[in-house]
Amino acid sequence: MFNGFSHSVMGASHEKTNLVCQDSSAFKVGDHYAIAVVADGHGSKKHFRSHMGSKFAVEAAIEAIDRFYEDREAFEKNLPVNNKLIIKNIEKQIISNWNMKVEKHLAENPVTDEEKSKFTPEEFEAILPESYYGSTLVAAVAGDDYTFGVQIGDGSLVAIFDDCKAVMPMEYNESAPANVTASVCNSNAAGMFSSFYAPKKKLIALYGSTDGLYTSFGSEYDFLDYHTIITSQLGNLETFKNVIKNNLAKRSRFGTEDDISLSCIYNEELLNEKLDTLKKKVEENKQAAADRKAALLNKKV
Amino acid sequence: MSNERVTEPEVNKNVNPSDDFDTKETVSTAPESDDSILDFDDDPLSATSVSKKSLVIFFLIDTSGSMKGKKMGELNTVMEELIPEIRRVGEADTEVKVAVLTFSTEVRWMYSNPIPIEDFEWARLRASGVTSMGAAFKELNHRMSRNSFLNSPSLSFAPVIFLMTDGYPSDDYKEGLRELQTNSWYKFGLKAALGIGQEANDNILAEFTGSKDTVVHAYSGGQLAQMIKIIAVTSSQIGSKSMTLSDDTGHEIGEEDVFAAKQKLLGQQIQELVSTQTDGDDVPFDTGW
Repeated sequence: MFNGFSHSVMGASHEKTNLVCQDSSAFKVGDHYAIAVVADGHGSKKHFRSHMGSKFAVEAAIEAIDRFYEDREAFEKNLPVNNKLIIKNIEKQIISNWNMKVEKHLAENPVTDEEKSKFTPEEFEAILPESYYGSTLVAAVAGDDYTFGVQIGDGSLVAIFDDCKAVMPMEYNESAPANVTASVCNSNAAGMFSSFYAPKKKLIALYGSTDGLYTSFGSEYDFLDYHTIITSQLGNLETFKNVIKNNLAKRSRFGTEDDISLSCIYNEELLNEKLDTLKKKVEENKQAAADRKAALLNKKV
Repeated sequence: MSNERVTEPEVNKNVNPSDDFDTKETVSTAPESDDSILDFDDDPLSATSVSKKSLVIFFLIDTSGSMKGKKMGELNTVMEELIPEIRRVGEADTEVKVAVLTFSTEVRWMYSNPIPIEDFEWARLRASGVTSMGAAFKELNHRMSRNSFLNSPSLSFAPVIFLMTDGYPSDDYKEGLRELQTNSWYKFGLKAALGIGQEANDNILAEFTGSKDTVVHAYSGGQLAQMIKIIAVTSSQIGSKSMTLSDDTGHEIGEEDVFAAKQKLLGQQIQELVSTQTDGDDVPFDTGW
């Protein structure tokens, strides 16, 4: 049985500039599967509706993935054989859903004079309507013995499988142009996704997060250890919820002041089975961090 | 039947309102004085610290034989004194790290990675050998990368790069500089240089910094201490300053313009501060030593 949580906090920099929170997050627990999703609206001048764009991206992802699970048996039979094609189709469906939501919203809520007032007429004409809503997206899916995920733009995906080690399984799409931020609003968005598929692996927990979380850490080790600590506390989620909320607020306030979203899904049975190992792993990670720091402070001259 | 809990904020209006953890919340209404949200005493997550935006200060220091004696002795002393002053720059919103590259016959880093300023301890340097400045530029280019010294996930200001030398390079510094000039961190970094004594060549130093305004000279121990402090403190202050990415009319300006503005400001401030310094009566390097 899967369970999960998701949470978004608004960054201090957005408070200062009177921007609304540009992030959205969600999770869904289905029948023998679960989905965790986060999205980060770009927030810059020409993406003036990106807080809505991130909301639509989260909705679009859950709806697209759910559709593939309408016949779960057939889906899970095909996935091991045709995972690349199926994941590609999910990505296309997400972009299609997102574009439909944007078109509908724009038809019902035309751009206001106030929104236009920040641009010269020429500048405004040059912006494609879908760009108003630009957003990133990270979506992670867990089944009983497999995991997959898709991502467009920045953000992170962390998995903890039954060896209790936190890993970042995403295989990044090196063909995406390096100088262009991949976004659901790009004209070739469906071709800009990165993805991964991990078959025959028992998953304890799977996390998606927006880049505000990653950039609040001084090292990737710390970032991964953070997820191990959270996982070791999920057995008591109800009381731990506030600790996570406060910690995300602290990371946003004292870190890079960006919005932060974290979405998690986890397997309750496997978690309970592995709790002692997870707690041991947390202690090992602490020792490894102390050893790394001691090594760092060795002078070379 | 599936157990569905779609918890996307502001999307699914059928969400159980009591499950507020799963709905979007902001900290925007929490006043500064309300520390209730920041009560982390029993937070197991505090084992992984929060990282602020970081600034790495690279010191490139000539430790060739000509630096022996008063120059190196004074440099060691002033660098030890300087660390607490730089520490104060980083106290507010920036995590300052220091990386020291020495060059003589060989190039060597003082530590294997940039060190947070609060943990940094100066290792006294000794002088010997020739001046492999080109090799130092190549080594800096190699390490100034997301795959090496600048690999922290936290956001980084463009680095400060501070070169100190007392003589003419003994290797092909131009080849090393050409490699370094392709490095984006170098392009956007704040660069300053200090020539020590009569032999240091200001033109070479200006080639490194890109402008004569960010090159200064010290001819005595007293001046050396003053100049190192002026450059290191001023450049770290400017380097750790978040400058706006929009102009007065609200139009967004490029990052290149921001970095160009910072480099120009550094030149102006260094020249202003240098012009207010008194010569004092200490003995010049090149007459008494």
